[in-house]
Amino acid sequence: MAVKKAKKMINPEKIRGDVRYGDLYKLGGKVRKRREWRGVKDTLYDYSRWLGIMFTLGKFVAVPRNVKGMLRYRWMANYLAVPMMVDRHTQGLRGEYLRMCHTQQDLIIIDVAKLLNNLFRGDRRIGNDKAFSDKVVLVDENEMTAVMMGFPTLKGLSRETPSTYVSVLLNQHAAEHYIDVAQEFGLAGDVCPMPEAEAGVSIDDDAPVLGKCAIQCNTTCDGSLLGNGVISRRLEKEDGIPVFQLPAPLRHREDDVQEYAAEEIRRAIRFIEEQTGEKWDWDYYFECARRVNIATKARNEWLDMNRTDYPQIFGSNLALYTETNYMAICGKVPEFEKADKKLMKLARKAYAKRKMAAPEYRHRAIVWGVQSHFYMDFLVWLLNCWGIVPLTDMLSMINTEMIAETDTPENREKAYYDMAWLTENMIMRNRTHGGYRVLLDELFEFVEMFNADMIILWEHITCKALDGMHGMFEDRARELGIPLVWVDHQLFDPRVVSRQGVRDQINTFMRTVMQEEPLDPSLEILEDGNSW
Amino acid sequence: MAKKVMKCLLYLLLFLSGFFIVTFTVYFLNLDMKLTAAIEPLLQKHYDRIRRDQHL
Repeated sequence: MAVKKAKKMINPEKIRGDVRYGDLYKLGGKVRKRREWRGVKDTLYDYSRWLGIMFTLGKFVAVPRNVKGMLRYRWMANYLAVPMMVDRHTQGLRGEYLRMCHTQQDLIIIDVAKLLNNLFRGDRRIGNDKAFSDKVVLVDENEMTAVMMGFPTLKGLSRETPSTYVSVLLNQHAAEHYIDVAQEFGLAGDVCPMPEAEAGVSIDDDAPVLGKCAIQCNTTCDGSLLGNGVISRRLEKEDGIPVFQLPAPLRHREDDVQEYAAEEIRRAIRFIEEQTGEKWDWDYYFECARRVNIATKARNEWLDMNRTDYPQIFGSNLALYTETNYMAICGKVPEFEKADKKLMKLARKAYAKRKMAAPEYRHRAIVWGVQSHFYMDFLVWLLNCWGIVPLTDMLSMINTEMIAETDTPENREKAYYDMAWLTENMIMRNRTHGGYRVLLDELFEFVEMFNADMIILWEHITCKALDGMHGMFEDRARELGIPLVWVDHQLFDPRVVSRQGVRDQINTFMRTVMQEEPLDPSLEILEDGNSW
Repeated sequence: MAKKVMKCLLYLLLFLSGFFIVTFTVYFLNLDMKLTAAIEPLLQKHYDRIRRDQHL
């Protein structure tokens, strides 16, 4: 079988400004020497967005209780690195790509600032607004928030999103303290460090205490169940916050599990109604469902573009936004509808002009498996250093179907099945659970569909869901002549495999197997072990 | 009156120019991140001093 190779594409447009991005890194430093020069127009645009981020942060710290929260919770220190996170994800981007990235990232920053503000408002230690806290339903970080789509007067808030998930995006070392705390208290060290860190936050007494009730979900794995057990024990027995366990079926593609899944959704909704005294609002539900469909349509169109020679919304621009919009927002925030439409406009404009995001596209890759969270901007690095276009990733390949969005008696019944479907197809778990078809077979279908000539397979070393199929991925790639590279990492813990350790695996593969030289050699080895 | 308006516009222009020069310097030289990187260790020491009810 001949090895598949995509055609090499050269960008006819010159990239303005800096082209050696590695020169901006300071040896062993936490931050970079200076920001990127992107030519006058794009630098001024990036500067204006930076001012916007500063304004958002300024507004946040102007509220005294938020300062109090910052001084109480260790994980809040990571929010000092917000502008740097944006710099990492916008590296090398110009024109429409830069604008798409800012449209997404700036909105996510505003949304997380609102989430923090709400958490501290209801937190018994900080704002202690009891009336507000009684309107809060706590949700898991790794949980589809579909069951909140019919409660306009309630707030579904996740404590884990700002304390661990976003924190690690901001600072690669953010979770280390909490992982150590969990293990000091006897929790296993060979489970996924994400739920372990979340449990660590609870053990360390570092989670805001608020809410009338909580919903936990069995997404996504054994580690997640372990973490939820530790967290719910504290919530129920000490904080007096009842917790509902929402168990979504694992074999989610089977027809015979859907009725059970819908029933669990009904039970979760009943639980929220009983605990809060609020009633399910169908008008609000269908309004949210319409926005979910707009987001799905937009994502489907972006994926269609990525099947062509001129992909537009890909890499971390696709991954980070999809995770936020699909799972945490789930149609509840109108601002994301506006962002979807703006992104679509920018993508169509760039596509019509046949724009490219780098000087050269050498390979078209599908990125599969659970990505290293402490190095989310690795996708940007792949493009800038080696000209590898990460067309899509496993976590972005979620629901592509429309849900019922008009209020009819039949659709009210279907809505439970739709919410169940969204929950079952939550990011990551729709691939790590459900059998070989969703994890293995569909990967190779996507390789064909996207005309990819490379597979980058994350090996999250404590994720048991993927490890069992290691050999099957290799056999299938060999049969089809698709170069496949495994990249080891430990999700939240760069002490096990560092960012350079991640890069080295690609560097070695590209030099030895692919016999290629990097597009930007300054990025091959970076001293960013101490960096945020 | 016109002189007064001109004077106001001049002050506004001077203010905006000053604002741009200062903020653009902070932005381009990454001074905001350099400052927060210096603050972070102090915050960590502060967090270490907080008494917590640590348990499973």
